[in-house]
Amino acid sequence: MKLNFNSMTRGVVLVLALFLCNFTFAQRTITGTVTDAETGETLIGANVLVVGTSTGTITDFDGTYSLNVSEDATALEFSYTGYGSQRIEIGSQTVIDIAMSAGQQLEEVVVVGYGSQKEKEITSSVTSVSAEEFNQGPITDPAQLLQGKVAGLQVYNRGGDPNGRSVIRLRGISTVGANTEPLVVVDGIIGASLDNVDPNDIESVTVLKDGSAAAIYGSRGSAGVILVTTRTGQKGQGVQFSYNGQLGASTAFNSVPVMSAEEFVAAGGTDLGSQTNWTDEVTRTGITNVHSLSASGGSGNTNYRVSGNYRNVDGILNNSGFEQFNGRVNLSTKAFNDRVSLDFNSSFTNRNSDYGFNEALRYAVLYNPTAPVFGKDAPFPFASDQYGGYFETLGLFDSFNPVSIIEQNRNQGKRTEVTYGARLGYRITDNLEVSGRVAQQKTTLANRAYYPTTSLFRGNATSPTRKGRADFYDEITSFQLYEGYATYVNDIGSRSNLRVTAGYSYQQNNFESTYLSLGDFPNNIQDYGNLIQTSQDLQNAGFIQANSAVSPDEKIIAFFARANFSFDDAIFLNASVRREGSTKLGEDNRWGIFPALGVGVDLNRYLNFNRVDLLKVRLGYGVTGSLPGPNGLSQPIRQVVNGADGSVSTELIRAANPDLKWEEKAELNFGVEFGMDRFTATLDLYNRDISDFILERTVDAAVFGVDRRFENAGRLTTQGAELTLGYDVVNSSKVSWNTGVVLSTYKTTLEEYVIPQEIRANLGAPGQNGTNLIRVAEGEEIGQIWGPVYAGVGENGAPLLSDINGDGQVIGDQGNALNPEADFQVLGNGIPDLEFGWTNQLRLGEWSVNAFFRGALGHSLVNTFRAFYEPRISSQSSYNFVNTELVEEGLTAAQFSSLYVEKADFFKLDNLTISRSFSFAKDSAIRGLTVSLTGQNLFILTNYTGTDPEPALVDYGSADNGGEVDFSNPDVLSPGIDRRYNYFASRTFTLGVNLNF
Amino acid sequence: MIKLFKYSIIFSLGLLVVACTDLEEDLVGDITEDFSEDGVNVDGPGGSDGPLTALYAELRNSGTANHGGYYSIQEITTDEMFIGAKGGDWFDGGDLIRLHQHTYTANHPFINGAWVATYNAIATANDNLGSGNLNESEVAQARAVRAYFYWRLLDSYGRVKLVTENDTDPPQASREDVFAFVESELLAALGISEVTADMDLSASPLADGGSAYTMNRYGALGLLAKLYLNAEVYTGMPMYDKAEIAASFVIDSGVYVLCDEGCSVPNLGRRPDVTTDPATLDGYAAVFAANNEGNPEHIFSVRYDEVNGPGMNFSQMNLHYSSQFTFNFQEQPWNGYATVEEFYNSYEDGDKRKEASFIVGPQLDFSGSALLDYAADDDDIQLNYTPEINELAPNSSREAGARPAKFSFKQFGRAEMDNDFPIVRLGELYLIRAEARARQADNWAVAEADVNVLRERAGVDPYNGQLTEDEFLAERGREMFQETARRTDLIRFGRYNDTWWEKPVSEPFKNIFPIPQEQINSGGGLTQNPGY
Repeated sequence: MKLNFNSMTRGVVLVLALFLCNFTFAQRTITGTVTDAETGETLIGANVLVVGTSTGTITDFDGTYSLNVSEDATALEFSYTGYGSQRIEIGSQTVIDIAMSAGQQLEEVVVVGYGSQKEKEITSSVTSVSAEEFNQGPITDPAQLLQGKVAGLQVYNRGGDPNGRSVIRLRGISTVGANTEPLVVVDGIIGASLDNVDPNDIESVTVLKDGSAAAIYGSRGSAGVILVTTRTGQKGQGVQFSYNGQLGASTAFNSVPVMSAEEFVAAGGTDLGSQTNWTDEVTRTGITNVHSLSASGGSGNTNYRVSGNYRNVDGILNNSGFEQFNGRVNLSTKAFNDRVSLDFNSSFTNRNSDYGFNEALRYAVLYNPTAPVFGKDAPFPFASDQYGGYFETLGLFDSFNPVSIIEQNRNQGKRTEVTYGARLGYRITDNLEVSGRVAQQKTTLANRAYYPTTSLFRGNATSPTRKGRADFYDEITSFQLYEGYATYVNDIGSRSNLRVTAGYSYQQNNFESTYLSLGDFPNNIQDYGNLIQTSQDLQNAGFIQANSAVSPDEKIIAFFARANFSFDDAIFLNASVRREGSTKLGEDNRWGIFPALGVGVDLNRYLNFNRVDLLKVRLGYGVTGSLPGPNGLSQPIRQVVNGADGSVSTELIRAANPDLKWEEKAELNFGVEFGMDRFTATLDLYNRDISDFILERTVDAAVFGVDRRFENAGRLTTQGAELTLGYDVVNSSKVSWNTGVVLSTYKTTLEEYVIPQEIRANLGAPGQNGTNLIRVAEGEEIGQIWGPVYAGVGENGAPLLSDINGDGQVIGDQGNALNPEADFQVLGNGIPDLEFGWTNQLRLGEWSVNAFFRGALGHSLVNTFRAFYEPRISSQSSYNFVNTELVEEGLTAAQFSSLYVEKADFFKLDNLTISRSFSFAKDSAIRGLTVSLTGQNLFILTNYTGTDPEPALVDYGSADNGGEVDFSNPDVLSPGIDRRYNYFASRTFTLGVNLNF
Repeated sequence: MIKLFKYSIIFSLGLLVVACTDLEEDLVGDITEDFSEDGVNVDGPGGSDGPLTALYAELRNSGTANHGGYYSIQEITTDEMFIGAKGGDWFDGGDLIRLHQHTYTANHPFINGAWVATYNAIATANDNLGSGNLNESEVAQARAVRAYFYWRLLDSYGRVKLVTENDTDPPQASREDVFAFVESELLAALGISEVTADMDLSASPLADGGSAYTMNRYGALGLLAKLYLNAEVYTGMPMYDKAEIAASFVIDSGVYVLCDEGCSVPNLGRRPDVTTDPATLDGYAAVFAANNEGNPEHIFSVRYDEVNGPGMNFSQMNLHYSSQFTFNFQEQPWNGYATVEEFYNSYEDGDKRKEASFIVGPQLDFSGSALLDYAADDDDIQLNYTPEINELAPNSSREAGARPAKFSFKQFGRAEMDNDFPIVRLGELYLIRAEARARQADNWAVAEADVNVLRERAGVDPYNGQLTEDEFLAERGREMFQETARRTDLIRFGRYNDTWWEKPVSEPFKNIFPIPQEQINSGGGLTQNPGY
């Protein structure tokens, strides 16, 4: 790569000079219309590009375009999805009309890091999903748009809690030190929040799957990159409005089967005289409203789009849901004969959430079905007033009236998010463009919870002196992004070209939070969460809990360069290198160099197979660095110790590691793309090798004084395959049916680890602390559910376990879980062997039907509800018994075994949409109307007896007796556990209207 | 001119790039430097521990009186206490049964927890000693407190690394070496080279008496007495003579007196409406009460405080859920630890220690009404702690077992308790001297005089020729219940491997806990103890 320094300098000078001077260049304007060669219809949105430059435009709604080109431009290239691209010499023409032929090789431009590329020139695994292909229906989180649509991308929001976030994972875990999710880039803004993008504003999403594509983004792209492009206005277009409305209703799809009151009493349960279906008491039909309105257009060199989106979602759990307003402005303009371009976009989200209490669902399952809702209906005198009128089974561990939980307490949050970004580009010559980008984002979150003095659950209603609790949590996260890069494009002959991009990136993240919890409120006559000065805690030291955290300026600084070379329009070469530094690492190891290389060949050009439209092979290799989430990884961390006498000191809680260095991920990807007639196929095979992963591990307490510190400690590999198939079954002007399948599979092996093997993921209380469900072992696949094998009911109702190794004795106790003599084995794996999505689009004139099926095979789940509450434990006769078809009569002791590990294979009709579009006269104010009906989660085939068979990719540990789940610290090595705090899955029907005017 | 412009642009660009490559991490939200080294402290009402604040706090933080570490592995491995599995409740993967039945392995989480917490405490001592900011007295205190933590490792694990401020990664030492280190550190703090009857402690930088929260000469001597009493177990060499001298020196100093007649504190657990609740706690009961600060029998104690000194959770660990309403506790108890029936029955009626140490029988709430257990697994809805226990597992009764309550509970108590926990107290020194004399004389009658001092306080008849080795062990058990002494005692008397309730005979190698597997795995070169 030879870069002319003088032209670089010239560029810098010129950018600055721009603000001072007004340049004019010799320019001419070319206009024209693009039509379909067969039908003569105009094509909207076709790409028009000046060959050898990044200058271009797209055709408007009338199929016309207008483009300013410089005097030295020689040719225009026209391309459109599904049509063969054409190159036309400009010569002296000023009007160029063109008719394009369908059914030829795709020639799409795909957004990649710091620019875009023709699809066929891409040498890595990249998948684009356009808005038409998104999942329909009310979506609470934009990631759900992609669920099942991209081979290798896992998106799971178990149970579908409207306030829960999906776990997003691309090609398995990319580190074990954190739950690293793919980097989200919204309109070029690295790390922008997906929560600040309304699904209705998204034009397309591109997923960069392998290391060679993502390498340009460095460490943050190590888990893959999701590039989101939002809708923009069209150039030369009058203002147009679009309205989208949805009205949906959700009901619980499934619940945990438990005993009815009669069954419970018959089974020996304590009879409290009532009959209550607790699940019915805490669930409802949730109503969802969505309204989106946008205005877009363009005039002169400027186009714009403004949109507002309102969502009001009620969860199926009483008092849960959210209300959200989102606004977005996209603006782009060109000046100085299109040499200077400015893109600006900004978005704002305000979301008020009622988180509700998922615990209500848990206690609805286990609460005594003969217990009354209200204390006045108790079979014995009960101090109802003390518990807000509700009944409580006092004296029982981990048992709270679920109706009281959900009705008496509140758990709310307000999130406000603002993102803006601006890119200024200056095309110094037709070959060289420099760009600068500034972006900032700020998110504030304010969570408030209040438990009145009469709530047993966290409100401490049994305490004579410490009743009531108010929690306050405030968080501010922000980032700043400053980037500068230059792109140099040069045609070498007519069929080869070179494109070089180089730049600098500065990213800074900040975080701060405060937490305050206090209680002891005077009474229950009002909500003292807004009147905390009444807290009697203020008179007693030590009762108020306060916490705060401020992150350091967490910075990533990088220099990067990439070269794309295409030869003979059939051989493509991409190479990039990034030198990146992070504040998180040890002083001497802060900087790392991460290269990537990719090669692609359009074989069809040379082989010319009969009827084959596309045959391309590609190979990519990339190395990225990767870091876990927390700061201060390399530094010693101490905590304050208070002396009982009032003195203060500190002690070490985590040891320093000044030698901590970058974790590295090397990924090799081989892909084949094939197209023939109506059939298309893409196959990707990859191998990921993650070495020196950073992990907080146990170290010798004697030497370090504390047994924790971060070390580079291990290696893991992932091999996987992804296949995407498409077929146009019927394709006529009146009727069409196309169908597509995405399939993916992967296997992750822990090659090296800090210890040969370990067990993790505690089952929890009551009584199963010390029972670990997951084993990880060096040289073996991750996700192993580990335990003894159930063989039947023994004496005393205890489970009999199998003598797996046949040595004549059964060693099945948890303390021996890793003993080589023990009778333990792998009982299942939490990660699916195969995941698939099956799309069907059927169009019959004005009617269309979309049916999307989704499934996963080969994964298991530990059904923890059954593990705790299905055995008929006599000393727990005040909890209800779970009662599935897998129940073992006579079993009276809860001890974990294969009995509670269930295959969770499933196949479901995820989404079915029927819509009709109406046409209007050309001069009508209404340009288009579509009415649709969508059903989500319509049927599911599975043998899993829990509420939701979808894979649990991470584990948040157990939380019992009113304790709180720590969602900030997921364990990625412990998949496959269906915990008791999951939301129940729901089924939703939605009526949708789309109106353009 | 253009050229100058160009160069200045290049120059400022270069400057920008340099400025924008600064990756220094300033952890504004965390503490990364030890400020105990600077001697920062805020003087409180009771004087100050100064730079040793964190070290004395480690006595609380190291599992001395809570669940899951040192206290647990010392108590529920013995014939004193157990935790029954009540269905799934308190089964905990069998960890608690394994401690009771001596089937623990190197993977036991409590055995690892106790190890880590102890080394964490030792690291704090080493931080202090290495800082160079301590005065002579503070150096002696830090060394003696560190020696106490090493004594815990010596007693529990035997072979450990002797990490000091000067040697951060020594090889694993033999049990004999650990013994020698503990002995020499305590002797150094006392300013002597050997324990002798006519020793002169005036050269010791440690205080001559004073607060039990500060390691003083008598505290260090008391620790030496315990060390010598068990020397035969630790090294094979009996040192009962030295144990006797050390114990005698403290007893004879007259600085401490047994808490007996007239030694009394208000009963903070009293329910105004329950007439059987006494107004005061006297004698033995006062030694362990919530307001036992400054008790004349305490020589070296761990200072617990419900606000500033957390780490004692007996009310949570020992009592049934419903007992919250007896004491108006702010948090619901957990229904875990209870007393082995035979142990409870080894007290004769009228022994004041029996009354002080247990809660048994039908329970009343704060107002004197019957305390109800709505989830009772017997027919009786009133909570009734029975000394009888149906079984250890899997369906141990929710109400079974007398509940340890020597460290007594106060009304409106928090999850964290206020009672100070004695590590060295005068009562135990009488027992040490008695045993040391008997073993030297090979005659247990020699021990009667000292033992009778304690029996008289307990209100039971003195021995008169009846004392045997077995009886002495039982008597020691009654006096030292719940003070983490039992495991060490059973081992010294050769009884730790015996069978008792729901516990089979165990192998002798169980007398030393395994080195935790996690520590071996961490790559520091530790090797496992024999047998595991």
